[in-house]
Amino acid sequence: MQRRDFFKQLGAVATIAAISPAISFADEAKKPKGPNDLSFKAALDAITGGKGAVESSKVSLKVPEIAENGAVVPVTVEVESPMTDSDYVKAIHILATKNANTRCIDVHLTPANGKAMFATRIKLGDTQDVTAIVALSDGTFLSASQNVKVTIGGCG
Amino acid sequence: MSSRKSLIKIKPNSYKDGEIVKVSFMVMHPMETGMRKDKTTKEIIPAKYVNSVKFEYNGKVITTMNVWESLSTNPVFTTYMKINGEGKFSVTYSDSTGEVHEKSMKIKPKG
Repeated sequence: MQRRDFFKQLGAVATIAAISPAISFADEAKKPKGPNDLSFKAALDAITGGKGAVESSKVSLKVPEIAENGAVVPVTVEVESPMTDSDYVKAIHILATKNANTRCIDVHLTPANGKAMFATRIKLGDTQDVTAIVALSDGTFLSASQNVKVTIGGCG
Repeated sequence: MSSRKSLIKIKPNSYKDGEIVKVSFMVMHPMETGMRKDKTTKEIIPAKYVNSVKFEYNGKVITTMNVWESLSTNPVFTTYMKINGEGKFSVTYSDSTGEVHEKSMKIKPKG
């Protein structure tokens, strides 16, 4: 008899385990939304005006491949550019594709910077791609992206 | 308005006129996303994040930044700048609740 009870309980545990993912999904929907909810595509269109960006080796994006703490992920973007009055990097945009608001920061540079580089630290909620979009003074857009594995999420 | 701790760092420490130096600006700021819940009261902590930063050198705007909530707590902004004579380097920043602060530093090139 005891053995039978044991199997009954085991079955009950298994069913709860099967249902629980559904419960966690419901919780996901209840999660508070941030002040700016913006998807990656909407952000890309807002930045480039629907033109899109070309992946380029001129843009070097330095992000750790595995981030143990999602709350502090160092990001460095460097662009090969002479930074003269006629040819310079206008802006660097850093985006995190899966965050609630994908846009992290827009940096508007001028020739007075002398070197097109920007570094900061961002929060990542989940394992995702980090993308840098670079706007040049001639109106073209370049991009670079890298996947970052996040062990502990940094949002919420 | 309460004062916020912030710091401007220029590397290398001594520089010449015309040299390109690394400038970083750090600010002690919670960068609250508005998505986090208080663990005891279960209430959502309202959003409060730095939303714009401006670097100026002798009154000329060098770099402007639009910032959103996904920057880390106590954010750091690092970029390069060309030294162009003696003067003042200043950083103005504001946050989503309307706080505006300024921090400045004297620029003195050697030689």
